[in-house]
Amino acid sequence: MDWSKENELLVIPLLLGCFAVWWLMPSAKKRPRIVGVLAGLAACIMIQGMLLPQAGDYIRSVLFFVFAAAAVISAGLMITDRNPVYSALWFALVTLSVCGLFLLNAAPFLSAATIIVYAGAIIVTFLFVIMLAQQAGTATSYDQQPIQPLMATVVGFILLGVLLFTLQEWGAIDGTSTNEHAEPRQFIAVPAEIQPNPLSQAPHDNPHEIGSLRVLGRSLFGDYLFAVEIAGTVLLIATIGAIAIAPRRAQGTL
Amino acid sequence: MLEQIINWFPEWARPFIMPMLTIAIVLQVNLGVCSYLILLERKLSAWMQDRIGPNRVGPWGLLQPVADMLKLLLKEDVIPGHVNKFLYVLAPGISVFTTMLAFAVVPFGPVPRNLSATDGQFPYIIAPGVDLGLVFIFAVTSLAVYGIILGGWASNNKYSALGAMRASAQVVSYEIPLGMSVVGLALLTGSMSIEKILLHQADAGILGWNIWFQPLACVIFFAAAMAEAQRLPFDLSECEQELVGGWHTEYSAMKWGLFFLGEYTHVITISFLTSILFFGGWHFPWIAEPDSQYLGSTLVKVLVLLTKSFAFIIVIQMLRWTIPRFRFDQLMGLAWKVLIPLATLNVVCVMIVKQFHLNEWWLLPMSAALFLGAGLIGTQSSRPFARRTSEPVAEAHGHHAHAH
Repeated sequence: MDWSKENELLVIPLLLGCFAVWWLMPSAKKRPRIVGVLAGLAACIMIQGMLLPQAGDYIRSVLFFVFAAAAVISAGLMITDRNPVYSALWFALVTLSVCGLFLLNAAPFLSAATIIVYAGAIIVTFLFVIMLAQQAGTATSYDQQPIQPLMATVVGFILLGVLLFTLQEWGAIDGTSTNEHAEPRQFIAVPAEIQPNPLSQAPHDNPHEIGSLRVLGRSLFGDYLFAVEIAGTVLLIATIGAIAIAPRRAQGTL
Repeated sequence: MLEQIINWFPEWARPFIMPMLTIAIVLQVNLGVCSYLILLERKLSAWMQDRIGPNRVGPWGLLQPVADMLKLLLKEDVIPGHVNKFLYVLAPGISVFTTMLAFAVVPFGPVPRNLSATDGQFPYIIAPGVDLGLVFIFAVTSLAVYGIILGGWASNNKYSALGAMRASAQVVSYEIPLGMSVVGLALLTGSMSIEKILLHQADAGILGWNIWFQPLACVIFFAAAMAEAQRLPFDLSECEQELVGGWHTEYSAMKWGLFFLGEYTHVITISFLTSILFFGGWHFPWIAEPDSQYLGSTLVKVLVLLTKSFAFIIVIQMLRWTIPRFRFDQLMGLAWKVLIPLATLNVVCVMIVKQFHLNEWWLLPMSAALFLGAGLIGTQSSRPFARRTSEPVAEAHGHHAHAH
């Protein structure tokens, strides 16, 4: 009982959001969309107290709200749109908005790399596949309804809940890495002041250099060397696998 | 003077004044220059083909761009039935937007050091102080593929869709050598900021221009950028001499014009980037040094940069009627089998020089050796292919057998 009381701020909006997404999913029966939209709005308003950054520079706040709202709305539209092509395009918008948030958090390289890799290559590949499968203007019922809307929504929101819960705990323990004046039931998505990663081995002589390419390189190939090398190895194996699977020209498939 | 104008505005609006002014100037100049580049392209094409070219509107045809613009604006704007209207209208917008946005981090004059948004110095760049300018440009231009792919798909035409597939495969492939080719520059300069790369060369003098250390990277960058912009010899998506048109077959009037505005803006950006990254930007010995302070030196620097960029635009337009178009498999082979390995080896060379603290001039023979080696391998390995093509009947028969 104690636990649920402490975390009702987290649980109730999650349940509401789960309901909203399930309601908005395309289905055979026509449901009034406004119910889902209102539930989703209520969930966002309830949880905003935990996620909003401290009031700072007004340009920064405006940008944060624009990017955050764009990300949440496009994410909702991405999973509830009937047309797979539009879903892929909403996915691209989600990526772009999140990249904007990365930029606000002084991570320009992460932001640019995400745009190049996700928006510029991966979603383009999705679009390729979808567009080859269906021509514009043809009214087919193909791929227009989710197969297991309820399970997918519930599992997705359980994952989101676990993530938020962990973030909350982490924000409360390690106050220095997010915000010095963290209130107990709050974690800050956007730190008002940019601070170096406290666990980093890389030298941070100049506070203006945080987020620059030099510090990023030091951090990647110093603090996270093994993770980077393992990720590189996995990618190499995947590349070799893809080349091995791809049909040979001699087999007459190209 | 500019500072007084800025101070006249309320406090909260001051940071916006200089960027707005710069954006307005860049946009206007860009639109004007684009229309005259089309005239120049038509005139150059005419001269190279021993024709006269457009000469009816105004003296020497100088008002032809105005006539073209009016025609594009006043023409009937056909939206075919059965198209996806929203995406169909959105696609040209994306095309123009991404190419214009890429210009935001390209300096077009001497960017003052210690610049702030409110001190009234003209910045000569829309977004000063972007630490990752080069990566920003690649990120933004990688979004240009959406204009192509949406335009092709939304037209609801199989030929447009096929054209979009070819064009987007080309654009996505050539992004990789484009990005790899400038990694060497970033290693040499120690920064990915375009302004810093420019200043680094300007401080080092004409023998410090990156073209001396990275000639191969310059060739790769230029070729890949041409392919990104889909200029000849890489304009397979269009093939205007023999096909109907690629992904923009169904577009007409100003929407078609917007695609071409995007292409010409891209050409301008490429020329600026090539002259800034490899040819010292606004630096020129004696007349435009970093410490030259004479009256009008800023103007001279801007003019030097514009002249260099203009020279590259001319090169791009002359290449159009010089090199024949690639076949599609040759195009893909060029990106994946030639440009990407060469760019990677070039980066390895720079790393070797940096790691062992060798003289940077070692990079010149290294680049030449790589280029010659690639040429040698290319001619040797293409010989069996030439033999194969001399027996076309047997080859066709072979394919037939495989298909069954």
